[in-house]
Formats: sequence, structure tokens, C-alpha cells
Amino acid sequence: MLAGAFACAHTPQLLARPETEDRDLVLRVHAAFGRVRQRLTALRPDALAVIAGDHIEAFFLNAVPALAVYAGAECAGTFGRYRYRFPIHEPLARAIVEEGIGRGFDLAYTQDAPLDYAFFVPLHFTMPDPAVPIVPLHVNVYLPPQPTPARCHAWGAALGEIVRSRPERVVLMASGGMSHFPGTDRYASPDFEWDRGVLDALRAGRGRELAALTGAELDRTGNVELRTWIALLGAVGDVKADVYCYEPSWHHGNAVVEWPV
Amino acid sequence: MSEPHYRFPPARALRLNRCLYALKADDAFRARFLRDARAAMGELGLEAADADALLAGDRDALVARGAHPYLVFMADLRLRMERGTATFEYF
Repeated sequence: MLAGAFACAHTPQLLARPETEDRDLVLRVHAAFGRVRQRLTALRPDALAVIAGDHIEAFFLNAVPALAVYAGAECAGTFGRYRYRFPIHEPLARAIVEEGIGRGFDLAYTQDAPLDYAFFVPLHFTMPDPAVPIVPLHVNVYLPPQPTPARCHAWGAALGEIVRSRPERVVLMASGGMSHFPGTDRYASPDFEWDRGVLDALRAGRGRELAALTGAELDRTGNVELRTWIALLGAVGDVKADVYCYEPSWHHGNAVVEWPV
Repeated sequence: MSEPHYRFPPARALRLNRCLYALKADDAFRARFLRDARAAMGELGLEAADADALLAGDRDALVARGAHPYLVFMADLRLRMERGTATFEYF
């Protein structure tokens, strides 16, 4: 069953804060993560299925899957001094692969790929107590051509059906966004106005409108990672989002959101 | 319409992108690079112009040569973290 749905920013400056980052802003995002952690602990999930955009970490140019599922026994990732290792909820991961393919989504799967920080930054702050196994769900966001928003939404809808048919209590978490342009000459000029328009639509329960966006618009507004949210929206449907925070830094629109399920 | 920020990686830039990927994701390679950058880049067969742009930290030149902007960004961040040229608060 689907027990909860959240979206979390994952910028690594929230984990290792350089002097360029506003400490108070970082702590406000941490406070929102703390609310997610409290909610997750109360929801008592059996597994967290985390939808994240790979930062060319698990998959380099040897293979670029549009959509992939980590279906190994455990996964591990590193970032500087941080070392993470998470058990995978294998029955759920396998069911998502098998039933996803059965529904016409040609998913890739892996049992051996490094875990990207897009997964472990939110988990660092939100993993409930006691900790639960995860299922990493990859969406290609940085290596064009990426899956279309419509395809991400359709995949999310199928994922929601699969999860709702399962005996486990599953929380979905989308990791990513909002506007930012890492590595480009627009790094210091995110499109916060566009972000706020999206959040207004989500608060109003109009999430399905995001499925009609184009990949070009996501790129233009610094929101290539919003594909992970759009997938989650396919799963949760037209419910009104509770925006825990929106904290625009000099380079990044940091949002934390919950959807009632 | 303006060029997208993230473009299809040109095949000619595979070695350059592999080097940036290794600087981002491979601790052992990054350590070798910090000891002797030219030798490390030689391991991956980088062209001289790619190596020069990487040593100069010239993002625009690297991207013009086909480097993925995100890889340029994160390779640089990881090198700065290792060199200790930036101070971090760890949570």
C-alpha cells in the first residue's frame, strides 16, 4: 500500500555546507527534513521507494537508462567523508521491475551500481527510526535525451498502482529540484518565479498539469530534476500538496513537500 | 530558441567526460590526479587541448569541447574538497 509521498531537495551543500551558503537557510531546510523524518517515523513504512535523478554516478556513458530500478541486496555510495550503505527491499524492488515491465515500461535494472547523493542526502536527514530498507528508482535527468514529463507521469501512475497492490507499507519520496543550473553560466540565476508557480499549482492539487510540460521548458527553467516529482505526481494523483518549505538560495530553489495519500 | 543547458554528449568528448566522471566518482583516480595531473590524464588518453582546459579550470572551454557541464561542476567541487581550498561545515 502507498503510505506516504514526499519530495525533498538534495543539493549536497545541505550536507557539507561551504562558506558560500547561508547557514540559516540550510538549517531551515534541515528543519523541514526533520518534519519529514517525524512523519516517516509515524507512518511506520516497511520501505522507502526513492525516485531520484542520477547525477551521472550510477550510470556513465556505458549505458544511459531512461528509467531504472536498483534491485540488488544492498546499495552503497560515498561523498567525501560520507559513507552510506542501505539494504534494499528486494521483494518490492523485484515486483516494481517485473510489474513495471509487464505494464509496458521497458525498465532497466541494476544490482551493482554506486548510489548517487540524490538518494542519500535526503535519507541522511529523513530516515525514520527504526531505519527501513529502500528501493532506489532512477530517472535520467542530466543526459539528453531524457524521458518526457508525460512518460515520467505515466511511469509514476503505474508505479502507484504497483505499490498500492503490495502488502508492504511503502512511502514514495521524490528527490531533486527545484530550479538550479549546475555547471552552467546560469548557476547564480535560478528561476524562482517559475518554481513558485509550480508550487502554487501543487498546493491547488493541479499536479497533473506538470505532465504537459516539455523537456525544453524544464531545461530552460533549471528544472530537469523535476521529472522525479512528476513521476511521483503520477502516483499520488490530484491531491493538494503541503509545502513544508521553499528556500531559494543564491543558486538553488530548495523545496520540501508532502502529499496526503 | 537558445541552446539547452544540457546537451547530448558528443561522442568525440567521451575521454574528456570519462576523466571528469573519474574525478567526481573515483577516489583513487582523484588522488592520482592531485599527485600528478598530467600523468593521471595520460592514463585516460586525454587530448592535449582537453588536458590544458582541465588544468586551467576553464569551464567554457571544457563545455565547448563537449564536456558535460554537470561533470565539470562536480569534478571541480570534489577537487576543491580534497585540496582543502574551501571550508565546509559537515552535518
